Amino acid sequence: MRGKTTRFLSAALVLSMTGVMALSGCSGSSSSDGVTEIEILQYKPEAATYFDQVEEEFNAAHDDIHLTIDSPNDASTIMRTRFIREEYPDIIGIGGDINYSYYVDAEILADVSDYEGMENIKDSYIDIAEALEIVPTDGTYIVPYVANAAGVLYNKDMFEEHGWEIPTTWDELMSLCEEIQSEGILPFYFGFRDTWTCLAPWNSIAVDLAPADLCRQVNRGEANFTDEYREAAEKYLALMEYGPDDPIAYGYNDACTAFARGESAMYPIGSYAVPQILSVNPDMNIDSFVMPASDNADENTLNSGIDLGFCVTEACENKEAAYEVLDFLLEDENIQAYIDDQNAVPCKEGDFQLASMLDGMSEYIESGNMTDYQDHYYPSEMAVDAILQTFVIDKDVDGFLQRFDTDWQRYNRDIIRQVQEYEEENGSMN
Amino acid sequence: MKKSKVGIHTNWPVMILLILGLSTIAFPLYMAVVIAFKQPSEMTNSISGILSLPSHWSLSNFAQAMEVTDFWRSLGNSILITVLTVVLSILIHSLMGYAIGRNRAHSKFYKFVYLFIVSGMFVPFAILMMPLAKQTAEMGLANWAGVIILYVVFYMPMNVLLYSGYLVNIPIALEEAAEVDGASTWRTYWKIIFPIMKPMHATVAIITALAVWNDVMTPLIIMSGTGQNTLPLAQLNFQTQFGTNYNLAFASYLLALIPILIFYVICQKQILNGVVNGAVK
Amino acid sequence: MKNDRKRTFLLITIPILALFICFNTIPLIRGVIYSFTNFKGFGTYDWVGLRNYADLFTDSRVGGSYLFTFKLAICATIVTNVISLILALGLNSKIRAKGFFRAAYFLPNVLGALVVGYVFQYLFTYILPVFGEMIGSEALSSSMLSNENTAWIAIMIVCCWQNIAMNTIIYISGLQTVPEDVYEAGSLDGATGWKKFRHLTFPLIIPFFTINMVLCVKNFLMVFDQIMAMTKGGPAQSTESISFLIYNNGMSGGQFGFQSANAVIFFIVIVAISAAQMSISSRKEEQL
Repeated sequence: MRGKTTRFLSAALVLSMTGVMALSGCSGSSSSDGVTEIEILQYKPEAATYFDQVEEEFNAAHDDIHLTIDSPNDASTIMRTRFIREEYPDIIGIGGDINYSYYVDAEILADVSDYEGMENIKDSYIDIAEALEIVPTDGTYIVPYVANAAGVLYNKDMFEEHGWEIPTTWDELMSLCEEIQSEGILPFYFGFRDTWTCLAPWNSIAVDLAPADLCRQVNRGEANFTDEYREAAEKYLALMEYGPDDPIAYGYNDACTAFARGESAMYPIGSYAVPQILSVNPDMNIDSFVMPASDNADENTLNSGIDLGFCVTEACENKEAAYEVLDFLLEDENIQAYIDDQNAVPCKEGDFQLASMLDGMSEYIESGNMTDYQDHYYPSEMAVDAILQTFVIDKDVDGFLQRFDTDWQRYNRDIIRQVQEYEEENGSMN
Repeated sequence: MKKSKVGIHTNWPVMILLILGLSTIAFPLYMAVVIAFKQPSEMTNSISGILSLPSHWSLSNFAQAMEVTDFWRSLGNSILITVLTVVLSILIHSLMGYAIGRNRAHSKFYKFVYLFIVSGMFVPFAILMMPLAKQTAEMGLANWAGVIILYVVFYMPMNVLLYSGYLVNIPIALEEAAEVDGASTWRTYWKIIFPIMKPMHATVAIITALAVWNDVMTPLIIMSGTGQNTLPLAQLNFQTQFGTNYNLAFASYLLALIPILIFYVICQKQILNGVVNGAVK
Repeated sequence: MKNDRKRTFLLITIPILALFICFNTIPLIRGVIYSFTNFKGFGTYDWVGLRNYADLFTDSRVGGSYLFTFKLAICATIVTNVISLILALGLNSKIRAKGFFRAAYFLPNVLGALVVGYVFQYLFTYILPVFGEMIGSEALSSSMLSNENTAWIAIMIVCCWQNIAMNTIIYISGLQTVPEDVYEAGSLDGATGWKKFRHLTFPLIIPFFTINMVLCVKNFLMVFDQIMAMTKGGPAQSTESISFLIYNNGMSGGQFGFQSANAVIFFIVIVAISAAQMSISSRKEEQL
């Protein structure tokens, strides 16, 4: 009996070793006879099916370039791991948020202003990308691919049934909420237990009321949040009155399910929530409108930013091949396939068919009346979402604004110093 | 020897308490099973809705979950990594536990080694992640082999703690007797001590296997880009920030639970039957 | 003879120790080096000296995370150990269907975090409030997860629920080392129930008690999965554990250097606690 355990263990060891050999035997090696390998690492796992198809089509049409597109979950961790190992992918697909700013600053990305396809990208998105650079940097570092749009999703059938009108000013929104409530229906649903969702209504209110470049103004020492965010903060709280009693109790998924089941008339969240809502109630008619936070309808603007853009890394050896891949990705039919799949807004000029749940926003999209998300400038470690969640609980406007200002200085210390050094050397950024 | 007594007088009060306690486990399990069989369109926020049985019982969620996770390949990788880690852990950690357990009372060096290794348990993984990602890549270990080595190192503190604690109750007289007969320490270990520690091997096997089986982080940062998935890595596919298919995910988690549960049932039999009792007497 | 023993022990220890140093100590040292920089996790970085360490002591989030983590760890350690010791004694006593019970009580440990998170969120959000209203309890009639004062209790319940299985296994394997003749001798002396446990069983399983205490400290002070599954640090940042901050702000955010400093201090704190714990219980072991 004594020998039995040992014998068993050694048998197991031998067996697994054999398995190991077999496995390592099949891991493929890349051939390099005249074929350029291009690897894309993109951060949207929900679009993996689309990218698998693009990869296949591209490879079928090209002999000289072999494309691999990786759409892992938790891509931000994987990207960082790759960067620290110095195994850079040729192209990375990321969103236009503060990580992009960091990557530009860290000189990981290559200048793509010589890429011809840039001409067809809408200027508004190129401007958004430029604004994200911590200090103005020569060149362009991202090819904006698609944008998202956030406002308020609403239950179209319910609105039609009751004859409710889409509000265009804050007063109209408030009286609409009163009306909905008087009919015994909950106007909004929130799922603030998942802290990140606290940002969705915040962003769409703040874009209407605060200057688009507020965060950069603060970094230059020209403005503060206490003054500029006050109205947004007050209106954010006012919105809470028309949601569930205890918005922190529910998660994102609970809120999607509740909205899908008709428990509320509206849900202030981005279009990315639509697939989750439809999975619960496939027959639902969802449309959206721009959050009318301003009392003046003309001041309202659509909250839209770069959801996915492609950056060629500095380490990419064959920029020509990378551009060829980008050309393929930017072909109209591929973009159309992407926006059909993901309810996205294209960043390229052209005649694209948008998803029906964006109907209410099409006016803004066509006229280019769009402003980037405020939170694309917030460092994630500052946890503005959690600050907002705290604000929803304690309802202290002054405390919230004050904390926003002090925390901002604390978490952006290095950026502020960098911006101010730049200012001293180059004069004003404007 | 002991088993025959069990059937004779059952301790009924304990039985009843255990059955009552079971409800804390039965409820979540029931919910998990019911959800795994439902369709997304059957999900609601009402209590009666979530606890009700699925409208029809079909294995389609399980089949689809297996397809999405490339089940058999991922399972193969998971089993490979788990089995190798467990075997290596039992061999290496028990040796280390033995060397430390037998010497730490009278040797400053071993006492230091003991504290040094055990304190490794408290290193937050987040601080090791980046350096390890870099180091394993430099050493050509950014693959499953590297993952196994890392596991053997990560679980060493806990297992050494367990083994050296267990050795306290194993009389040293046993070895001394064998060594008087002329056996070397090495031989004595494998012949006498290693088999006696069988209950501990089983405990270590369970704890290590479970930790490895469920771990996401290590394979995520070490194996990313090799095209190989473990089950927990593949299961990440069900969950994105903007949408989670709970029904598929639950089906997949229930499937992943079966192998480790079987492993546990096999191992826990080894914990029983007081080997020490028989051997010491 | 003695030399052979010594040499064998050294030959065992040195290679294993080398492996450990290579994959644990060296990366740790590299991590410690980052704690003196403003490294974001990529790109270039500057040396900032002790700034990160100085910041740690003025950062209210870090302070809050320490308070929460210790509160949780102390309570969860007590609850888990009491229940799992009772459970181990029960599962080790003369009962029917032992194998079934042992497997069933092991299940919480195997269920993935996604499942545990979903089920318990549901329990706390929808089921418990209804139950609370039924029994007319004000405290229970709203979700525990949305209240700053009760969210940590909900987290504690889930932590205990998941960890009891592991501690029970260790206690059970400890109970196997209690020789049967101890019991026989004990029952001749008329020792029963609590007395028997207190004076006969417990002293013999003290090494396992120590192990379980250390494992609890490790699992609960480094709590992360349950937080991610249940609250993501909310409500109002009341359940941000230290590991949560280190991971979220260091790995996902741009505070890698600062959170490395946090991790270093945290490491020192836990090592100090467990060293104290182990020396206390080893003194106890000697006393008996």
